[in-house]
Amino acid sequence: MKKKTIRVALAGNPNVGKTSLLNHLAGTTLKVGNWPGVTVEKKEGSLFYEGYTINFIDLPGIYTLEPVSEDEFIAHRFLTEETPDVILNVVETPNMERDLLLTVELLELGIPMVLVLNMIDEAQKLGIDIDTERLEELLGIKVVKTNGRTGAGVKDLPRVVVETYEKGIRPKEVKYSEDLERLLTSIRESVDESKHYLIKKLLTHREYFQHVERLYGKPAYHVIRENRFAFAHGLYNEVIKRKPITSMDITTLLDRFLLHPYIGTVVFFLIMFTLFKISFDFSKPFMDWLDGFLNGFVSPIIKMIFKDLGAPTLVIGFFSEAFIGGVGFVLTFTPLIAVIYFLLSFLEFTGYLPRIAFLMDRFMHKLGLHGKSLVPLLLGFGCNVPAIVATRTMESKRDKLLVIAMIPFMSCPARLVVFSFFAITFFKNPTLVIFSLYMLGVVMALITAMILRKIALRGALDHFVMELPPYRLPTLRLLLRMVWVYLKDFLYRAGTLIFAVSILIWLSMNLPPGVEKPEDSIAGKIGKAIIPIFEPIGISDWRISTSLIPAFLAREIVLSSMATIYSVEEQGKKGDFSVYESAKKQFFSLLFATKEAFSSLINPFPKTFEVSEEHSTLRSSISKSMDERSALSFMIFILIYTSCLGTVAVMWREAGKKFALGFLVYSFVMAWISAFLIYRIGTLL
Amino acid sequence: MNLEDVKVGTKVMIRDLAGKDEVIRRVEAMGLRRGKSVEVLQKLGRTILVKLNNSRIVISKDIAKNISVE
Repeated sequence: MKKKTIRVALAGNPNVGKTSLLNHLAGTTLKVGNWPGVTVEKKEGSLFYEGYTINFIDLPGIYTLEPVSEDEFIAHRFLTEETPDVILNVVETPNMERDLLLTVELLELGIPMVLVLNMIDEAQKLGIDIDTERLEELLGIKVVKTNGRTGAGVKDLPRVVVETYEKGIRPKEVKYSEDLERLLTSIRESVDESKHYLIKKLLTHREYFQHVERLYGKPAYHVIRENRFAFAHGLYNEVIKRKPITSMDITTLLDRFLLHPYIGTVVFFLIMFTLFKISFDFSKPFMDWLDGFLNGFVSPIIKMIFKDLGAPTLVIGFFSEAFIGGVGFVLTFTPLIAVIYFLLSFLEFTGYLPRIAFLMDRFMHKLGLHGKSLVPLLLGFGCNVPAIVATRTMESKRDKLLVIAMIPFMSCPARLVVFSFFAITFFKNPTLVIFSLYMLGVVMALITAMILRKIALRGALDHFVMELPPYRLPTLRLLLRMVWVYLKDFLYRAGTLIFAVSILIWLSMNLPPGVEKPEDSIAGKIGKAIIPIFEPIGISDWRISTSLIPAFLAREIVLSSMATIYSVEEQGKKGDFSVYESAKKQFFSLLFATKEAFSSLINPFPKTFEVSEEHSTLRSSISKSMDERSALSFMIFILIYTSCLGTVAVMWREAGKKFALGFLVYSFVMAWISAFLIYRIGTLL
Repeated sequence: MNLEDVKVGTKVMIRDLAGKDEVIRRVEAMGLRRGKSVEVLQKLGRTILVKLNNSRIVISKDIAKNISVE
């Protein structure tokens, strides 16, 4: 009886094209997740081949197996503790000499292995040719040549993996220098100890490594490292058929412009502007249409059906408002998330993203931040949710958490809607007020980063070492697959949380059953109970504190919920609802949205920042229960407090539950303190 | 001479690496080892971009000054 599942670990240096290979191998089964307890991304997928299920697990891209960084630690632990059946060792052929160090370390494990020479096309262009037969002979394993971009050669992999698994094709033992070999043999206690294990034993037992030090006159780990390099170097010289020729390539040419201190900076901001414009302006009409479709079409239909069935009002409300509202709320994020993932994946696979880090480091490191963090931070001004999602491209956990904690203070258009309402109502110079609030947000982000660096995320900005891969054009297929994979993960993990909380908020507004006035609902009672907290910052009206409860979904809701609570605007129009007429209307508005999406791309000014005038009747009611000072204090509170379910949900997904909830409390406290200070200073003036 | 002082466009050979072991380990694993020749492509702020065979590596100057070259 043969085992039906083969577990295959994909190992290799960063940028060797493992993701493209995995995409060709696993197709639609590809999914993303995180390695347990850490923020490092894990990709998995499977394939059926001749009665076997082959599970592919993508290990983080690493240069060496010695576990120091988080990525190396994950890869090391997986390979030594969960021992895969087969290692698929992916080598970037143009850089084979360097990649062979990791190969040597993997060979030491003695696990069945297949060596993949990827990007063989690029190697050929550079005049590099590998004698695969000799390589197979020297290592005792199968070698497959592939082109990750086109997928050429990938179809051979399942067959070779199965063969390697069935025959248990383990690599030949790596042979180091005679002295070292003799030493390693002398500490061997049983035959099944791998070279990896023996070396570990040598390096961790005092009597062993001191012996090596006496023998060689240098630290034992130096000796091991030199032996590994020597083996890799020897292997490379044995199998390389032609020495590389250096010629002017596209990467060198492009880098002249894109990495130029001035031209490169200008190009970066142009790219950033385009990224911003496409992600927010292009997806906005679709988000609005989806919202209208669900609330203006699906919801009335459900209401009609339930009414015909004679269901009680609360049940009708629950399904037509809470359920559809919740689903709709999650779905409105999808066009935005999809577009952001598409563009970010494009920048990542082309090789531009790491270049941003190099280019922007001179500005960002002064703030103690990684050069790459500029991208998510700028995106934050468009919407915090995709901005947090974009931190996925940061390698170090410290940098990633730092940026995630800064993003929510970047003021987004949802806040602009609230600001412009209050600023226009209460101030003579609303533009100045709004601009100051944006600045205050940036200052708050920097303060937060400083605090975090002082307490939790200490440690100097890491010594900057990174590779800039050559420019490569990804296939559309790969990009679309990645978008789908990430979107699925977003809907599954962040979407469920967003949905659940939005239901809870609806319930708080509509319970106990039969509640008529907002004052009598659970939310209204909570709103009244928390008034003592808000009084010191100038908010003493329960209607305003209550409006903060539904506004936790998204800040701009604060206005419509105030309108409801002040009962100045009727919620929803009454009248006849015709399915046919509405369907026709929805269809045309979708066409219009598509037209809008494309035409907004031509408009050079980001449309996201255009605010339309609404809630004019609310204006007069609000101006009675607030004054300038309390309005300013309220705006500051809304700016700083993370009153945004989407943000909290993605934070939860990217940085964990503790971080997300901790941050929520932190932002509330900071918001309160800032609002309090401004309000009190205002009182003195 | 150390790598930090090398002019842009110059090719040099690495003689030795000093400094913290985990940094050396990382730099060596990326291919910057004794005897390898590298070309300095660009210097920007506190970083240096070098070309080594077919790969391009960015290192900060505080690492570069611990790499002696000739």
